[in-house]
Amino acid sequence: MDVDVRSLGASSIVDSLKSIYSLVLLLVLWEAVTRMGLIYPYFLPQLSVVIHEFVVLVSTGQMIHAAYLTLMRAFVGLAGAAVAGVAVGILCARNALFEWFFDPLIKIGYPVPVISLVPVFMLWFGIGDVSKIIMVAVGTFWPIAVNARDATRQVEQNLIRSARMMGTGDRRLLWRVILPAASPGIFTGLQIATPIALIITFVFEMVAGGGGLGALEIAGVRGFNSAQTYAVIFAIIAIGLVLDRLLRAARTRLLDWT
Amino acid sequence: MDGSIGISNLEKVYGEGTERTKAIDDLSFDIDGGEFVSVVGPSGCGKSTLLYIIAGFLDITDGTVSVDGTPIDGPGTDRGVVFQDYALFPWRTVKENVLYGLEEAGVPDEEADATAQRFIDMMDLSGFENKYPKELSGGMKQRVALARTLAYDPKILLMDEPFGALDQPLRETLQDQLIDIWGDLDKTVVFITHDVEEAVYLSERVMIMTRHPGTKKTVTEVDLDRSGPREDIVTSDEFTRKKNEVWRSLREETKSEVQP
Repeated sequence: MDVDVRSLGASSIVDSLKSIYSLVLLLVLWEAVTRMGLIYPYFLPQLSVVIHEFVVLVSTGQMIHAAYLTLMRAFVGLAGAAVAGVAVGILCARNALFEWFFDPLIKIGYPVPVISLVPVFMLWFGIGDVSKIIMVAVGTFWPIAVNARDATRQVEQNLIRSARMMGTGDRRLLWRVILPAASPGIFTGLQIATPIALIITFVFEMVAGGGGLGALEIAGVRGFNSAQTYAVIFAIIAIGLVLDRLLRAARTRLLDWT
Repeated sequence: MDGSIGISNLEKVYGEGTERTKAIDDLSFDIDGGEFVSVVGPSGCGKSTLLYIIAGFLDITDGTVSVDGTPIDGPGTDRGVVFQDYALFPWRTVKENVLYGLEEAGVPDEEADATAQRFIDMMDLSGFENKYPKELSGGMKQRVALARTLAYDPKILLMDEPFGALDQPLRETLQDQLIDIWGDLDKTVVFITHDVEEAVYLSERVMIMTRHPGTKKTVTEVDLDRSGPREDIVTSDEFTRKKNEVWRSLREETKSEVQP
């Protein structure tokens, strides 16, 4: 691990502020124009009001509960899609019959904006957790399957030949060579699928209710409390940022050989 | 089990119908156990195809290829392949790569560890046990590949232009290392190369192949005392004579291709 010496000093705070100075400037500008009354508060409340609302929502537990619901739906759906998507993707690349069956489906399914199917899912599965989880699973299955398939196809022939030469049989080949060799591509699929899972969950919650950050956000607009909407948006941004960082950190740790 | 290879009337055809191309035609050649044989030929002569057939990666169209009298049926641990592109497992460290074949053979951990370490030391890789392939130079990667193959103790080493991607000084070092290994470990080696000097320097016999379709053209026996230093070997009369012989034979083949 290379540790930048400067990052250990006090100048690190200045440095990190420098890297987001445009953001800080915008936030200051936000507070300024709203305080001066240049924007109707219902459209854009003062930043300080939004922050206050955020603190209130967190301390009453509302925000935590909503975040829990959203993340639970997103990740249960994502987990299902990961298992199915990786399995189908690898089978497509290794088995002619699976390729024949799934390749056309993937071609059509991958570019479909799954979010357009929300009404159909409400019709079929209702507006509860199950409906949302299935929707997330269906929406994230495609990028995971496509990335798993392509990564498996790109496993170098000579790696497989070497393993066979050293006594690895057909069944063990999957665990010993194909999965580890394809794991960077599989991980990329998961990184692409994670924000998609969150988007699907938020939108479904806005449309169908049932709690969660999406429902809390739209309730702010409907209840003439736009500060709540903005506070939830802050939470969503924070969750997105943290998840992205976590996935990157996991990638460097797990795939340090790439 | 002495690692002999028998090839008789081998024919290999790729594709079907109008796409049909004969890669190898009526090739017969026997290699003794413990022998070092190089195969040289113009590119596209089917020398790599021949190696992959012996490895069991490719089916044959006609004829027989056998190891110790038994026809080849797919890849197996009696043979080991060293590829030009190394084919190391990038997610495994040097040590873990060398351990792979031993793990597959079910060798107990402690014994496997000792064996792997022995070949790591033999290939001058001590201190690099925990490095990943991406951290190594080409020459080191090829040494890891050699150690990995030697560790599970195949009788036959099949080498597909293994030093082709390395620069000259490194090639020479690895060539000398290979001669030492061959002398110490009693392996049959089939070595594919397009480098005449490399073929003559390393092997007891050099088979020159024709192209389109590939078959045996001539076989040159090289009788060199390889115990001395490199400069003595490459300046000896035998080396020069045999190098010219192989070169002339190969040149005929290349010329005949240019003037159909």
